[in-house]
Amino acid sequence: MSAAGTTEPTEVITRARAGDAEAWGQLYHDYAPAIFRFCRRALPTREDAEDATMEIFMKLKGKLGQYDMTRSFTAWLYKVAANHCWDSLRRRKIRQDKETDDLENVPLEHPDPSQLEQLIEQRTSEEVRKALEKLGARARMALVMRYYSDMSYDEIADALGVRRAFVGVVLLRARHELRQALEGSAALAAGGAL
Amino acid sequence: MSETAEEKMKHLDEMTCLLYIERQLDRARGLEVSAHTQECDACRTLLRALERESRLLTRAMLEEEEPLPSRLAEFQERARRSMQWIWGVIFGLAATGAYALYTGYIVRLQTQLELAGLSGSNLLNLLIFQSGLWKGWQSMITLLEVLAMLTLAGLGAIFFRRRIRRGSALALVFASLCALLAMPAPASATEFRNGKQVSVGRDEVIHSDLYATGGRVRIDGTIEGDLIIAGGDIEVSGHVLGDLLTSAGSVRVTGQVDGNVRGYAGNISLKGSVGRNVMLFGGDVNIDRDAKIKGSVTSFCGHNAIDGRVDRDLLAFAGEINITGSIGGSARIKGGDLHIDSAAQIGGPVNFEGDDPPEVSPQAKLASPVHFEKRRHGPDYGDWHYYLWQVIWAAAYILFGLVLFALLPTFSEDAVKSTERYGASAGLAVLAGFGVPIAAFIACITVVGLFIGLSTLALWLAALHFGLVVAGAVVGRWLMGRTSELWPLIGRMVVGVVIVRLCTTIPHIGVVLKYVAAFWGLGGISLAIYRRFQPVIASGGPSAPMATPLPPNTTVGGALPA
Repeated sequence: MSAAGTTEPTEVITRARAGDAEAWGQLYHDYAPAIFRFCRRALPTREDAEDATMEIFMKLKGKLGQYDMTRSFTAWLYKVAANHCWDSLRRRKIRQDKETDDLENVPLEHPDPSQLEQLIEQRTSEEVRKALEKLGARARMALVMRYYSDMSYDEIADALGVRRAFVGVVLLRARHELRQALEGSAALAAGGAL
Repeated sequence: MSETAEEKMKHLDEMTCLLYIERQLDRARGLEVSAHTQECDACRTLLRALERESRLLTRAMLEEEEPLPSRLAEFQERARRSMQWIWGVIFGLAATGAYALYTGYIVRLQTQLELAGLSGSNLLNLLIFQSGLWKGWQSMITLLEVLAMLTLAGLGAIFFRRRIRRGSALALVFASLCALLAMPAPASATEFRNGKQVSVGRDEVIHSDLYATGGRVRIDGTIEGDLIIAGGDIEVSGHVLGDLLTSAGSVRVTGQVDGNVRGYAGNISLKGSVGRNVMLFGGDVNIDRDAKIKGSVTSFCGHNAIDGRVDRDLLAFAGEINITGSIGGSARIKGGDLHIDSAAQIGGPVNFEGDDPPEVSPQAKLASPVHFEKRRHGPDYGDWHYYLWQVIWAAAYILFGLVLFALLPTFSEDAVKSTERYGASAGLAVLAGFGVPIAAFIACITVVGLFIGLSTLALWLAALHFGLVVAGAVVGRWLMGRTSELWPLIGRMVVGVVIVRLCTTIPHIGVVLKYVAAFWGLGGISLAIYRRFQPVIASGGPSAPMATPLPPNTTVGGALPA
């Protein structure tokens, strides 16, 4: 995480809140790459991610006054970004209807661990990214929130509008979708090689 | 991997394993899982696989495989450049506003102040009594100047917002400003008289200003300063060297006033001489045959009779006006009927805007024939100027809304949301729409609350205009959907304001719609303000700050069994 890991830019945020253009520039410079990458993972196309990044930073100008300085700025920023991206996806009705169904009916299985290990070992980051693009909006959003921006289950539940108890279900289902996508791409690759 | 179904049932399910590595299980269950994985190779392998999957996901997402697009890299710079352009416009408007403020208000008021002899009075007197007489109001209220003044006010607000963060400091500044404005002139002492019957005897001389209130007030003596009277029945037959300011049921001035006469009364009769200007509001205003006014006359009344002599101009708004005396300058009259008698003399041009043509005696001595213009009731839809002004006013409202939405984004959003609570906003619209001006008026007529009353009225008027903008934003949200983002909300406001302004051009009901929209929005604003002052019940303690995202190859789950 580019901006993460560094100390919180308290002084820059204070100046940006007061309307200092230089401070805004600094915040944008420091955080835009991370937010763009977040949007890139969460949204279907690169253009969507670019638009969303700009919109998030424009929105940030109005919302910065609401930021609680005692908390992590990075976490707050990702929360704003997540809400924006999810709102954007919902507006476009990309979310599939099936995603709203049977959240409670995830089978309690014990998959074959060795097969799972094998699948994971053979996949590169690039393949995972491509597989991510094939996932449904909710599944992708949940994985990005959890494994990119390290949002808590409470925050994910809040952003996605589901009960906290179902966040694990959403994440597990997303992993299943991802594995299917990875297996599918592997099969395609194998077919192409023949 | 050929486990039986029974053996498989003993293993942990994948969900439990996931929640375990994500540290979402309660302590007891976590210990159970931990103990189980000490014994079970398959479950331990599954945990490891899930954890590796988490790491793979994090690594794949964090990898920066593509640089920040140039469009985004340039976004900040472009935004900064565009802001420079906007700031240029804002500063241009602000400079125009400052110039208009100086030339339009300060210079002219200073000149009139000296002419009217109010230089020794305090600023409140100037604002209340003098500014109403100023004839430049109409020319002042032009769109550009209004916009420029708004921009100036906006810049002032930004200035204070940036530099004075603490509410107490801001309150101190405003309190100082109020004190400065309300501070009376330190010059002369003032005499107060109050009672059922107040009188100043013929031989009595008051060497200062006199404030007198009573059921019946009679001034036969000499007042060397200003005379300020409020009462039921007032007669001034003495000599006032300063100004006469009065509010009463009935006023008769038969004596001599060297300064200005300004008053509000049911019945006003001037029989004496006035050294400067006269400005009167009343039911009946009579300038008697013996009256001699060396300055101008401005009157707003039901019936106005001018039988005496006015050396300078006449500006009158009245239901009926009769002129039998002489007017040295021009006459500009708006009203129902105008009668100019045979004995009348008018030295300058006469402009009359009324319902019927004036009745002018052929024997009347006029410098030029009366220019009559039939008064129009309602807008002239055949005139393209009307539509041009509609466009200009719509743009003015949009700009006004833009400034306020940009300055107060959260409050504006709250106001728009509150306006959508139809019942509450309608109730508060009635309360704030009628209650506030009444309360302000009551404050105005008490000396202590004068500044507060005037400020409240000004704020109420501004809120009424903002109400129309807020109502426009609500209409925009109806059409384009809800949003909580600033610029989309502004976009909806723009669309809504245009629609509301279009609706206000509908004949007959347009005016009603305009006031309904403005009052409705005012109700929403009032509701938003009310909510702001409501105590907020604090939620539980602040949640722990979230950890920063983990770098690749970091263990996400709990401690793994050996």
